[in-house]
Amino acid sequence: MAEVEKVFISGLHEELAEDRVINEKDLDPEFAKEIRKYGGKNVMTCLQCGNCTGVCPISLKIDYKTRNIIKCCQFGLKKYTLGTRWVCATCYRCYEHCPADLNPAEVMIALRHIAVREGIVPPFVKIAATNLVKYGQSVKPDPEIDKIRVELGLKPVHADQERLTAVVREIQTLVHATKYDKLIGIQEEVKL
Amino acid sequence: MTEPAPQDKTVTKDTSAEPDGGRKAPRVGVFVCDCGSNIAGVVDCGKVREAAEKLGDVVVAKENKYTCSDVGQAEIIKAIKEHGIERVVVAACSPRLHEPTFRNCIQQAGLNPYLLHMVNIREQCSWVHGHEKAKATKKALELVKMGVSKAARLEPLEAREVPVEPSSLVVGGGVAGIQAALDLANMGFKVYMVEKEPSIGGKMAMLDKTFPTGDCAICILAPKMVELSRHPNITLLSYSEVEEVKGYIGNFEVKVRKKARYVHEELCVGCGVCADACPVKVDNEFDLGFGQRKAIYVPFPQAVPLRYTIDKEHCIHFKSGKCLLCAKACANNAIDHKMKDEIVNLKVGTIIVATGYETYVPLRKGVYKYWECDNVITGLELERLLNASGPTGGHLVRPSDGKRPEKIAFIQCVGSRNKKIDRNYCSRVCCMYAIKNAQIIMEHEPNTEISVYYNDIRAFGKGFEELYHRVREEYAVEFIRGRPAKLKEDPTTKRITIRAEETLLNMITEREFDLVVLSTGLIPSEGSKSIGKTLGLTTTPDGFFAEAHPKLRPVETALDGVYVAGCAQGPKDIPDSVAQAKAAASSAAAPMFAKKVTIEPLTASVDEDLCVGCGLCVELCPYGAPELVTVEKGGTKARIIEALCHGCGTCAASCPQKAITCKQFTDEQIYSEIFAALGAEDKKGEGRKKAEAGVS
Repeated sequence: MAEVEKVFISGLHEELAEDRVINEKDLDPEFAKEIRKYGGKNVMTCLQCGNCTGVCPISLKIDYKTRNIIKCCQFGLKKYTLGTRWVCATCYRCYEHCPADLNPAEVMIALRHIAVREGIVPPFVKIAATNLVKYGQSVKPDPEIDKIRVELGLKPVHADQERLTAVVREIQTLVHATKYDKLIGIQEEVKL
Repeated sequence: MTEPAPQDKTVTKDTSAEPDGGRKAPRVGVFVCDCGSNIAGVVDCGKVREAAEKLGDVVVAKENKYTCSDVGQAEIIKAIKEHGIERVVVAACSPRLHEPTFRNCIQQAGLNPYLLHMVNIREQCSWVHGHEKAKATKKALELVKMGVSKAARLEPLEAREVPVEPSSLVVGGGVAGIQAALDLANMGFKVYMVEKEPSIGGKMAMLDKTFPTGDCAICILAPKMVELSRHPNITLLSYSEVEEVKGYIGNFEVKVRKKARYVHEELCVGCGVCADACPVKVDNEFDLGFGQRKAIYVPFPQAVPLRYTIDKEHCIHFKSGKCLLCAKACANNAIDHKMKDEIVNLKVGTIIVATGYETYVPLRKGVYKYWECDNVITGLELERLLNASGPTGGHLVRPSDGKRPEKIAFIQCVGSRNKKIDRNYCSRVCCMYAIKNAQIIMEHEPNTEISVYYNDIRAFGKGFEELYHRVREEYAVEFIRGRPAKLKEDPTTKRITIRAEETLLNMITEREFDLVVLSTGLIPSEGSKSIGKTLGLTTTPDGFFAEAHPKLRPVETALDGVYVAGCAQGPKDIPDSVAQAKAAASSAAAPMFAKKVTIEPLTASVDEDLCVGCGLCVELCPYGAPELVTVEKGGTKARIIEALCHGCGTCAASCPQKAITCKQFTDEQIYSEIFAALGAEDKKGEGRKKAEAGVS
């Protein structure tokens, strides 16, 4: 599991290092257009100044270079960009500083959209999505926590079972209508 | 322009004088231009020609590959003579490009040059509708139909010639203004130079050395400043501002406010005894706050004119009515605290605007902490700190403690190429001045470590790349490709840590520096804004003055007789500023040598029977052309001073009585175009009346 997760959060550096030569066949000239379709505007105007990488709080912890990903998008290196980009916290600090007025955070979101549509869904996203459909929240409710809460004289997290069921049903209806479940690949048995 | 030649014999009908109702149809010729594939590649010109031929009034329609070519023009002349054409419609490019060509052409054939109408089927049709060929053709057809309808109603006009005053006003005394003034004066024209500061010299006087050759800026500028001040043909109005400009090419009337400097220029000898006596010390603007001056001062030792000026804001006398130590010290009695502003009226033929630039001021709460940290300075401040006549005598020190900085960082593109702050353009000089200053610092102190944070290095000029190469090779100046993301000041050492991605290494770097220099970009000056408003000059989106044509008319403005030079037109270095100044001087000299210019007759005129003398036009006209006059019959009427009228149409559009008509844009002509577009006939002006009722 840990190995698989690593692929989805690590930066481009290692991936690029494996392919010594980028072949023209690997480039998708329409990639920037596709990104624009999913909300990532002005990708081609990036000056590659690196300001986004410098201000990115994630980049200080792991090998994740915002600028590098944008460059791959400009270049049409689709295959490198889709596996990753789930670490972006969308804090928009990159957008705040970008002199070219593009929004790297929204490019990351667009990349996630494209990745999911290509069937590339990291396990942790699948788990969170499954939880959302199942319990109405992306984190699985833990009975232990409720036990502690009761001991402390607090109500359990979901005291109002009736309301919770209504909420979950609402989510499931929406999920079904938007074909979100199929997109993410949530199993049938998950449903109530 | 010469008188139109007598008309050809085949042209027999003279219809222009007939009133609308009984209008005899003039014979119209239509010439459709392919413009190679520029138009024909999109618009089906053959179809346009065929359709034009079928229009009423049209007696001949021709299609040409290039109507502006000799062949195309010859065909127009031939058609006019053979078919007795009285009005010519050319469906081609923008009238801004070839209207003069075709006016000359039809004049050669004996027609009045103003009986031409150009239909723009290139810029307004083929170029903008490249993907919709059928629709573009349809639009071209409609435009031609409108043009023919208007052309049939054109009336002959006579161009006027006006004399040109052989004198010039140069606004701004920087290097561009100085060069333009000297060139014009050397050609024998009278030149008035207006500079708002107490001394000429501009920004160049503040610089230390110039790139790429390393000449001392003031050493090469001062001789020119002195030459200007001593030139018999130049009147220098320093500490003055242009307040009002009236008139037109050849005949501008300029009102200049000569601000009171409280020192008589003709008595002051610039000895400086007054400044020694003055007890007030304030920051010197010329040193950007690093050095100090007295309340009575010259901004720098080489100032021209070397005449002292009292800074009213800080002078004790203007606060308490006391002191007067300077006046007591002055042996020539040159100081006069009661001096008043003076208005000087000038009459000039041409104007050169050389109002220069200002440097971008970093944001108050910006990333680069210019306002928070002492050791973050701008490029121009560094110039003063490096300058031998600057506040430190040329010794580079850290502003926080006066010690020598050992590690220096330059940050490029501050206030340039940044869409977030609406500064999209490249300021052109920052790369080179940073490289030049790096070289100077390394020459002074070879043990310094210099890093330049850049996005792209633009070393495009003569000798620039060589200098860039030298500072890397000889002085080992380090270039880091990346825009700094964060600056952090150590509260005790006052050193600055810069975090940036070295994009070429794909690594985030954090490094500490003693001094950080922000290579700030160039922005339009306040002086430019005010003179731009006074003259009504247009600017490009970046705020710099727009030239008449970006390639072919680089120093002319949209206003005849007004030229632009130097950084007022856009960021540029000294060689480019000087070259442009020389170009502006030569362009301004042309009409002054010719002693006369031709003025377009497309002006407004007033029907005094309809005018009620309300004066709305007088208030609205941006050029002061209409005036109210008392007529013999009694009452006041508006009258247009034709020489001042630019034919903009503001008065005609706003006149509540519809008493004002704009020649070649009469209501009748415009309505006929509208009706042609709508496919309606405007017989006997009925439609026009209906439309007016509908519109109003």
